[in-house]
Amino acid sequence: MTSQRIDRTLLAALSLCLGLAACATPPKPRELEMFEGIRKNPGVADAAKKSPELVAAADKLAIKSGEEWQSNDLEESRRDALMAQIKLKTALAISEQEQMKARIQVLSNQQADAEEELATASKDLASATEALELRQKLGAAQKAAAADRERLSQQMSSEQQKAQAEKQKLSLQLATEQKLAAAQLALRTADTVEANRYAQAPYSAAADMLKKAEAEIKAGDLVGAQLSAEVARQHAERAAELAKPAYEQAEQTTQNRARDEALQRDATAIPGVAVRIERIGDSQRLVISVQDLFNKRETALGSGHEPLLDSLAVLINKYPTYPIHVLGRTETRGKPGELLAMSQARAQSVSTALAARGVDPRRMTVSADPAPSADAKTAPAPRAKSNRVEIVFLYH
Amino acid sequence: MTTRWSRLGRITMVIGVLAGSLYGRAATAGEEDDLQTQIETQRAGVSDLDRLDEARATTEEITMLRTWLDEAWGLRSKHEYDQVREVLDRCRSQAELIRQKISAAKLRLQVQKRELTVRELRSKIDATRKALQETQIKNKALEVPTT
Repeated sequence: MTSQRIDRTLLAALSLCLGLAACATPPKPRELEMFEGIRKNPGVADAAKKSPELVAAADKLAIKSGEEWQSNDLEESRRDALMAQIKLKTALAISEQEQMKARIQVLSNQQADAEEELATASKDLASATEALELRQKLGAAQKAAAADRERLSQQMSSEQQKAQAEKQKLSLQLATEQKLAAAQLALRTADTVEANRYAQAPYSAAADMLKKAEAEIKAGDLVGAQLSAEVARQHAERAAELAKPAYEQAEQTTQNRARDEALQRDATAIPGVAVRIERIGDSQRLVISVQDLFNKRETALGSGHEPLLDSLAVLINKYPTYPIHVLGRTETRGKPGELLAMSQARAQSVSTALAARGVDPRRMTVSADPAPSADAKTAPAPRAKSNRVEIVFLYH
Repeated sequence: MTTRWSRLGRITMVIGVLAGSLYGRAATAGEEDDLQTQIETQRAGVSDLDRLDEARATTEEITMLRTWLDEAWGLRSKHEYDQVREVLDRCRSQAELIRQKISAAKLRLQVQKRELTVRELRSKIDATRKALQETQIKNKALEVPTT
């Protein structure tokens, strides 16, 4: 019973649905839906500006299609919707073309600007690259120059060092030779005072050190040679210093002896005089005895004696270092006082005559011998021989 | 006289009916040929469009056009000439749409090429400027020891 009632209810509902479906509008055609979708495209507004006729025709066809759809004329609705789509798409394509053309124009301008910009940048880059290359070349040249300078500097430094070393070596050699020469000179100086005789020890030391210095020079030990030469010089100077007084004394003695001998020879060569050497203790003297200068009992010089007096004056002046003593002697006969006075006067006359011939009076001392001469006492000498004047050269 | 005119009238009427029948057949045959010519012309045009579409931007539209031309051919065979004309009219619009889309595609291609060219130029400019900057820095660096 119940199932029959349900079946009847379902059958009634189905019948109602079928009836409603038969009276309802059919589904919208797919072509019309697609058109509506295209119509919502934002580009349609722009397309309507570019191709208003096409868009208007499309819209008109779409409206017609819609009406046909509402009228259940689906085939007509689909055809018109298709046509509407085609016209709208055509309008959109034309609009897109316009947009593309505008875009191409913009891009052309951008391309031109970009090409100009690229050309400018490329030019700047070329300039900068050229400058860089020049700077790099300059840098390379500067480096090369610096390297050359450094090399030359090193070469010069090396040469300078060599020259400096050579100079130092030469300086050292020169200094050594100078010291050696100084030592040799000092040794020769020592030789001049016969230091090898009067200062043997320092002289020998100097000679030894000098030989050592010469050997060191040959061996190349210049510093050692300098020291040895310096020591040799000091020894030589010391030797010379020590030897000098003794040498001078010996030399003076020799000279005096030679002068004395020369004086004796020269005096002996004067005619009319007697020459003798007298020794009194350590001292000696040369006595030139001159006779017959005075007449009897007279104190003035007789005539004819000038050549003799000249010779005596020449002799005295030739040997100026000897002090001269003019001694008057007389015979023994007579009063002693008178004899002494006469002897004094005669000696003075001779002194005066000699002074007149250039003999320095200050060299001469005048005296009379109060005692008879040795000749007068010992031998019966003639009076003339006793009455004489003696020129005495006092030895040093 | 009347009989005579009646006969003439009958003959004329028969001739008229025959002529009308022949004219109707001739007119139908001319319209069919004309539609066939239009269809073939449009088919040839489709091939041209297909060749023009180097970017293959209208493949779907061309396929649809061919379908519609086939439909038109079929309708012509069924002598549904009004529908054939309607389909051919749609085909002409579709062909115009294809031409415009092909032109748009070509312009789009030009745009893409120009955009690519501009991008390449920009890239070259950037590279050149970068190289210029680096070169200027090197120049600046080399100025110091020089001066």
